Amino acid sequence: MSLSRDQKIGAFFLLFAVLLVFVWVPLDVDSGYTVQVRRQVSVGDAFAPTIAGVFVLIGGLFLLVFGGTRDEPQEPIDFLALRFAGLLFAVYVLSFMMMLFVGPIAVLVSNLLTGMEQEYRLLRDAAPWKYLGFAVGCTFAITSTISLLEGRFSLRAVLIGLCAVLAMIAIYDLPFDDLLLPPNGDV
Amino acid sequence: MGALDYIWMGILAVLQGPEFFSILGVGVSVTIVMVALGFLLGVAVGATPGLGGPIAMAISLPILVSIFGFTPDALLPVMGFLIGIMKGATIGGAVPAILFNTPGTPDAYLTTLDGYPMTENGEARKALRVAHFSSVTGDTFSDVVLIVCAPFLALLVESYLDLPEKAALLILSLSFIAAAVGGSPAKGLISTGLGLLAAYIGTGEDFYPRLTGGSEALQSGLPLVSVILGALIIGSVIYEMTTYWRERGRAERAQRQQKRQGQGLSFALIRKLLPYIGRSAVAGTIIGALPGIGSTLAATIGYALGRARYAKTKHPDDPEFGQGAPEGVASTEAANSSVSGANLIPVLSLGIPGNAAAVFLILAAESIGGFTPGPSVFKFTTDQVNPELVIAFGLFTCMFLANFLNWTVGGVIMRSMGVMTRIPKQILLPCVLMLTLTAIYVQETAMAAVWITLAFGVMGYLMRVFGISPLPFMVAFILGGRLEETLRQAFSATGSDPWFLLNNPIAAAFMGLAALTVIIALRQDRRSSFSERKA
Repeated sequence: MSLSRDQKIGAFFLLFAVLLVFVWVPLDVDSGYTVQVRRQVSVGDAFAPTIAGVFVLIGGLFLLVFGGTRDEPQEPIDFLALRFAGLLFAVYVLSFMMMLFVGPIAVLVSNLLTGMEQEYRLLRDAAPWKYLGFAVGCTFAITSTISLLEGRFSLRAVLIGLCAVLAMIAIYDLPFDDLLLPPNGDV
Repeated sequence: MGALDYIWMGILAVLQGPEFFSILGVGVSVTIVMVALGFLLGVAVGATPGLGGPIAMAISLPILVSIFGFTPDALLPVMGFLIGIMKGATIGGAVPAILFNTPGTPDAYLTTLDGYPMTENGEARKALRVAHFSSVTGDTFSDVVLIVCAPFLALLVESYLDLPEKAALLILSLSFIAAAVGGSPAKGLISTGLGLLAAYIGTGEDFYPRLTGGSEALQSGLPLVSVILGALIIGSVIYEMTTYWRERGRAERAQRQQKRQGQGLSFALIRKLLPYIGRSAVAGTIIGALPGIGSTLAATIGYALGRARYAKTKHPDDPEFGQGAPEGVASTEAANSSVSGANLIPVLSLGIPGNAAAVFLILAAESIGGFTPGPSVFKFTTDQVNPELVIAFGLFTCMFLANFLNWTVGGVIMRSMGVMTRIPKQILLPCVLMLTLTAIYVQETAMAAVWITLAFGVMGYLMRVFGISPLPFMVAFILGGRLEETLRQAFSATGSDPWFLLNNPIAAAFMGLAALTVIIALRQDRRSSFSERKA
């Protein structure tokens, strides 16, 4: 018996709800559905997540039982979509890694060249250091995504990336003393 | 302090707030300026396919909070700006729908049916004028209903509903949203369940943060901004990108010749359109007042009502409905615009967000503090001033200010936004994605928030792919904490009675309605899918 796409979604969420209610909630919540505190019974921490599980369970069950009758045109999850999603994910992981490491590496190189002993953490709110990681990572992310969508690399994509970086610095950093651009809150 | 005093204080809070600049010695308050700026931005983003009011709200919220700070004085300028965006985006969505057959917002889809044929006939400016007039009329009507109804509804809730009834009302709202949003009630229930689950991660009353699997990043719960922006904005951007990637290079747009004459909106045409606008405005307002029912359904009903009337009153020379009838544009635009004001009725009176714009208003209120949308806002205290009530009437004033701008300069701004539709999607979407992630980072100042946002973005994308609406997820995520707290309090207040939701007649009626709503929706869905199968 082959299941329709909706029935497969229903089966997935049915299984998820069963695991949530019977495995995840009992193992990862300290109190039960009700707790007794000073001889008074009150609602425990497991109660609300179980209600959430019941919502998912009813929806999943109904999709599994009756989801096979409707033939709606839906966006396919195929190799093309997975390839695009994978590439996009890789681009963003790489760009945020760049954001995290470009600033400290630049400080390290500067220390080697000047003989100074500076720390990126102490320079994270000082120009130009605070912009380095953000500018490199952000330009890379925007340029790569535009290139992915257009199916070719172009100088125009790099220029748009740079302009977008400048715009974001102008919007989020220049007018404010209390805002930190990525990754400067984490270093 | 009477009701009129509160209304007057609300108006003054907007008009006499901190001065931004002065013209001939008359000060212009910062709130007025923010409403105007928000309105301009709203029209621009509404007219840009791939953008929309919620994206503009998401990007501007951290900037606004940084500018105005976390004091109650920030509430009116910040929320006024968001209201301006909401109003502007409503009319802006019609621009690409009419000019390029590309709806700027999902609810402008039906506008393309008559709007684009009018453009093809060389009547683009006339179509835009009809859309603007209908939209602004519907919106103003809806705002009047909001201002009249919200306080009364809130007073009713506060006077007659105790804790068990309030808990049952929240369950009814969630069931209603699950059953009514997105076409499939089963998927709505799944979306609601996932939203509740996300709300309960890392929260609770025990020392151990539940459902975190020991992760330190989740110990204080999932950040509201990350979850909402991830599921709503990032998910939508990834979906748009995948669609573009799939259809790359397919669409080409043709320039149309414009007729030079007969593009105005004559009194005769206005008189002809008013019955269509009136019906659609009433239908849209009623639908908008129900939480979670989007403007797409309102536009569909408005369009159907308009078509029925048009069939009876149509002149033989008039174009068919769907083939360039101004009445079609008027019916759709009046209906979807009248949803926006009425959608705020459940937010302001019950604290239940009905659409994405309402979610961002709640987000702004939560970020700044000092204003908690819900029935407690409308307490007309006489001995001392209730500041939340002044803010509420200030928000109503902001809405009328935005409407005033819409009536006076909205049409000109709207017609000048055709250029926005030419921004290529493959450039716009990557910039929006990065801008949103940067906005989240500057607000949360932690890379963990960015990863959580991306994770919920992937979830939002998959939900769209599988036809699951993210709106019930967001509403459940926002209401989840309040539902649990109300259930706990109600259980304790009734002496740990396990049947507290069924012992009280009003609570039992709400619970019965909740069950009935879901059952009817599931049965209707099953029936319609069977009939589709047969056909």
